[in-house]
Amino acid sequence: MSVFTILYRNVKWRFHNSFTIVITILQPILWLVLYSAVAGQTMKNTGIENYTAFILPGLVVLVSFSTCSSSGIMNYMMKSNGSFYRVLIAPIKRSSIVLGQLLEAVLCTFLEVGIMGYVSLLFHVRLATGITGIFLILILVFLTAFFMAGLAYGISLILPNEVIYETVMNAIVLPVFFLSTALFPADGISGILRIAININPFTHVINVLRDLILYGTVNTNSTVFVFMLFILMGSISFIWALHGLKKELSL
Amino acid sequence: MYAIETENIIKQYKNGVQALSGLSLSVKAGEIFSLLGENGAGKSTLIRILTTYLRPASGKVSMLERNIYTDAAWIRSQIACVAQQTSIDTYLSLEENMLFQSRLYKIPKTEAKKRMEKLITDFGLERYRKYPVSSYSGGVKRRLDIALNMMSNPKILFLDEPTVGMDIQSRISMWEMMKQIRSDFETTIFLTTHYLEEADSLSNNICIMKDGKAVKQGTPTELRSLLRENTIRVQFHNIEDAKEYIGVLKGFFQQEKMIVHNSAIIIHSPNAQSDMERVISFLAEYHIPFQGIEVAQPTLEDVFLRLTQSRQGECI
Repeated sequence: MSVFTILYRNVKWRFHNSFTIVITILQPILWLVLYSAVAGQTMKNTGIENYTAFILPGLVVLVSFSTCSSSGIMNYMMKSNGSFYRVLIAPIKRSSIVLGQLLEAVLCTFLEVGIMGYVSLLFHVRLATGITGIFLILILVFLTAFFMAGLAYGISLILPNEVIYETVMNAIVLPVFFLSTALFPADGISGILRIAININPFTHVINVLRDLILYGTVNTNSTVFVFMLFILMGSISFIWALHGLKKELSL
Repeated sequence: MYAIETENIIKQYKNGVQALSGLSLSVKAGEIFSLLGENGAGKSTLIRILTTYLRPASGKVSMLERNIYTDAAWIRSQIACVAQQTSIDTYLSLEENMLFQSRLYKIPKTEAKKRMEKLITDFGLERYRKYPVSSYSGGVKRRLDIALNMMSNPKILFLDEPTVGMDIQSRISMWEMMKQIRSDFETTIFLTTHYLEEADSLSNNICIMKDGKAVKQGTPTELRSLLRENTIRVQFHNIEDAKEYIGVLKGFFQQEKMIVHNSAIIIHSPNAQSDMERVISFLAEYHIPFQGIEVAQPTLEDVFLRLTQSRQGECI
C-alpha cells in the first residue's frame, strides 16, 4: 500500500510539472517525424520500406531513457523542498519509497510510448504482431523503463546537483543509443563497433521489439534471453537504488 | 517517563566535521524542551539523529524507552518533525498534503479525515482550503507544515527553529499553538530556537549546547540562578539624577561594580538581598530622591552568553 501512496504522490508531481512530459517526449518525436522522413529516403535503397517503423523500437527505448532521467530530477526537487526528508523519517519501508518512484517513471514511459505509437500511425506504421506480441512489447517496455529508472534514481542520489546529473545522464544515454541498432541495422558493421553494439543490452531489446513491430515474429531464444537479462539488470538497479537511499541515512 | 534519553552521542560527518562530541541529555514526556546553541553547535545534527535520519558513530539513544538502533521503524511511527525548511508539497492541495501524510502513517481513511478537519480548525486553516498551497504566505505554510505533521498524533514533535523569519504576531500565535499541542495532544515538543525569550516563556526545560556538547540543562529558573549574580536596580527620575548620585553611591559601596543604565543605577552584587537593605538605608539617610529599587535576576540571555562564550570546561 505504501508503494501506491508514493506512486500517487509522484504521479501528481508529474502532472503538476507537465513540462517534464513535453520535454522528454519532444526529442524522440522529432526523431520520429523529422529524422525518419529525411533518412527514410536514403534507407529505401537498403531494403527498409518504412524507416519510421524501423526506428520506432529504438525511439521507444530513447523515450524510456528520457522519462526515467527526469524521474531522477524529482529527487533533487524533493530534497530542495524538504519533503524528501519528511518521507524518509515516516514509518514506511525504504523499498516502498524507491519502488513507488520507479513505477511512476514506468507509468510515464507507457504514456509517452502510447503517444509515440499514436503519432507513428500517422506515418503508416502498422503493428504486425497480435495480442500476445503487444503483451510482450508491454513487458519489454516495462523492464527497460524499470532498469533505467533504478539507474537514474541511484545516480541522482550520488551526484550533487541537477546540472551535473543531466550532463552525466546525457553522457550515458547518447552513446548507448548510438551504439545500438536503434537507427541502423548492424549487418554491415564490423570490428570493435560491432562488438560494442552486441554487448549493448539495448541492442537486443530493440531487435526483439523490431521483430514484433515490423514482422510480427518472435525469436524465442532472443526473447527469453532479453527477458532474463533485463529482469537481472532491473533487479540490480533496484537494489543499487535502494542501497543509495539507505546510504543517505549514514552520511 | 523520559521521552528522549541520550548518552555520550558522537557524530562525525564523512567530510571530517565533528558535529556532536559526547552529547547527553534527557527530555521528560509531555514537556516542551528547548535546545539552545549558536550556529554550528550541532542542534540540527542532533534532531536528524533523533528523527532516525542519521546514525551516530557511538553513544546511547533511547526514545520512549526504545532503542533507536533496533527499533527505528517503531520510533518513526511515534514522532514527527517540522524541519527548518517547510516540507509541504506545493503541487498537492492542503487536504491532499494532510491525507498523504496520513497514508504514510497508515491511518484509516475515516479517522484521517476526522483528524484533518480538527487540525484545519485548530490551526486556523479553513479559509485557505480553496487556494493553491503555492500561493500561501510563509507563516501559513509553516502552520500547514505543523498541522500535517500532527496528522499522525505523534508522541514527540520536533520543531527545528519553527519561528525563524516570522513577524512578532505570527510568532506569538505559533507559541500559542505549541502550548495547545502540548496541552490538547499531550505531545512532547523538542524545540530548537535562536530566540531566548521564546525558550524562556515556553519551555519546561532548556539545554544549552556548545561545540557538540550539552553545557547545561535545567529549567529556565535553574539556568538563570547559575550566574548567582543578581543586580540591584535603583530607578531615578531621570538620567541626570542617576549620574549625579552614582558618585555618592560608589563612595559608600566601594567593593561593588556599578553603572548607569538609562535613568537607573545598576549595582552588581553577590549578596543582593542584604546589599539592597544597605542601599535603601543609605538612600533614606542621605535623602537621595529615587523612584524605586529592586533586585533583578539575570536574564536567560545573560546565562546563554556566559555559557557559550566561556572557554570549554570553564565553570561559571
